[in-house]
Amino acid sequence: MSGNADKALNILKSLPRVCLGNIRDNPGSRLGTKRGRGQHGGDKHGDGNKGSGQRQNFMRIGYETGNTPFYMRFKKEEYYKGHHLKRQYPPLSLLNLQKFIDLNRIDASKPIDLVSIVNTGLFNISIDQKHFGINLTDEGADIFEAKLNIEVQWASELVIAAVERAGGTITTAYYDPDSLRAMVNTKKFFERGTPIPKRMMPPPDAIEYYTSASCRGYLADPEKISEERLVLAQKYGYQLPKIEESSEYEMLAQRKDPRQIFYGLNPGWVVNLRDKVVLKPKDEELLEYYAS
Amino acid sequence: MLRNVCIQLKNGLPKSYSTSTSSPASSELAALEPRKLLFPSNYKKPRQVWLESLDTIDERKLTILELHPEIFAANPRIDLIHQNIKWQQNYRYVSYAHTKSRFEVRGGGRKPWPQKGLGKARHGSIRSPLFRGGGVVHGPKSPTPHFYMLPFYIRIHGLTSALSIKLAQDDLHIVDSLEIPSEDTSYIDELIKSRLWGPSVLLVDSVDIMPRNITAATDTIKHVNLMPAYGLNVYSMLKHDTLVLTRGAVDLIEEKLLGHLHKNDSRAVEAKYKLNQV
Repeated sequence: MSGNADKALNILKSLPRVCLGNIRDNPGSRLGTKRGRGQHGGDKHGDGNKGSGQRQNFMRIGYETGNTPFYMRFKKEEYYKGHHLKRQYPPLSLLNLQKFIDLNRIDASKPIDLVSIVNTGLFNISIDQKHFGINLTDEGADIFEAKLNIEVQWASELVIAAVERAGGTITTAYYDPDSLRAMVNTKKFFERGTPIPKRMMPPPDAIEYYTSASCRGYLADPEKISEERLVLAQKYGYQLPKIEESSEYEMLAQRKDPRQIFYGLNPGWVVNLRDKVVLKPKDEELLEYYAS
Repeated sequence: MLRNVCIQLKNGLPKSYSTSTSSPASSELAALEPRKLLFPSNYKKPRQVWLESLDTIDERKLTILELHPEIFAANPRIDLIHQNIKWQQNYRYVSYAHTKSRFEVRGGGRKPWPQKGLGKARHGSIRSPLFRGGGVVHGPKSPTPHFYMLPFYIRIHGLTSALSIKLAQDDLHIVDSLEIPSEDTSYIDELIKSRLWGPSVLLVDSVDIMPRNITAATDTIKHVNLMPAYGLNVYSMLKHDTLVLTRGAVDLIEEKLLGHLHKNDSRAVEAKYKLNQV
């Protein structure tokens, strides 16, 4: 790009001064409205002479003038049945994640979750389109080398292996739409002045994924997860870095409570941005409700 | 235009650009210091220009300044410049051309002659568009506004393209300040002649209260104009042959444009102006 710009500027040095009279848009970038003129200007505009073509009263699409139409000859295959109810996980590749970290858009010395990724301004989810979080994809798995503690909503086996080979940890966690709404625009949520909601448990069809140790689910048994880490290292043939001996062990081992949405903030708390205080409930009933 | 562009940044800035308070001696010293570029580029070299002074008729070079390559050596997109200029010409233009249709023209309610029996063509109204003095089909209606908004970053890149072209074609000059020794019109005339500027020159300062002498000297010359940096726009840059920026204006323009090119919340800021939102 810079090469092209320099070349163009060099050419401009020996050209007449660019002024109001000698500039133009890219050729063909704009099409004006056409009005027919000349020999065939007032003709039929390609619609032929009389009849259904000219009057636009076509037969309905697929109608075969009396035969059973093709689209009715076979049974319906409901490929999209329930599509509007399915959970969507917009993809984020390991390559992009690595890039965010290299360009200081994400601080890898702290645990990374949906909030920190959305706060880069480079990734967004829209909850009203049934987005339920990030699907971390394996593009760039070969060159991924960031040591981090990341929490995503969906990850494949290869992605888990890539993160763990680099000496990091990964968790898959479910957030219900209410929690997500608080996470995608934290400032707006805190300004609303409502207490941080309690994170809901995953729906029945997602329980299996989020309780399985091989998927690094947040509801899985931690001991089983450390077993699975070894199993995966053997399967993919890499030496599992010992995070217990790492200087960043505390950061790498940090996990959210299954009911918690933000690191360091518990459900039921109210964050007052103007006075810079956090208000915590004292009422027994509230404490009982928000307890995990 | 830059004012439109910079509205978000304006509230956050502590300093005021509308008054000049610093004494001339200290500002001259400050002008000679090397510039520190915001967001330095890893791949493009800064552009170097002479810092000149207006206090003599012949060119007097003070020092060399570095300009940010993203602003002053950007890709010269002629098409974006064209779009900016069309936008500037059109958004404030309201067409008052007006014609009357056959039903608005006075009269013509009566059938002019019988349908049959005269050997003449059949007609229902003397105000039909076929008649002389009849209505106009699809004619212009008043008022027709031509307002639209150019996308934000096309406006930004229009400015960087125009500045880059001015610098590449040797039509951009940086001066320490707009102070001149006399308020005589002939002084500025001769200065422009001796430095081979212009003939039309646009002088841009960071503040909108200019020194008295330059204001008086350029007052009667129609093709030498003064403009504060917040008014800088693509049309005026191309309208004038030579663009003269003060060092303060360069700082301000770079700060604003780089701020917009490097901010990471542009998606959120632009979202509310986006049409066809899901």
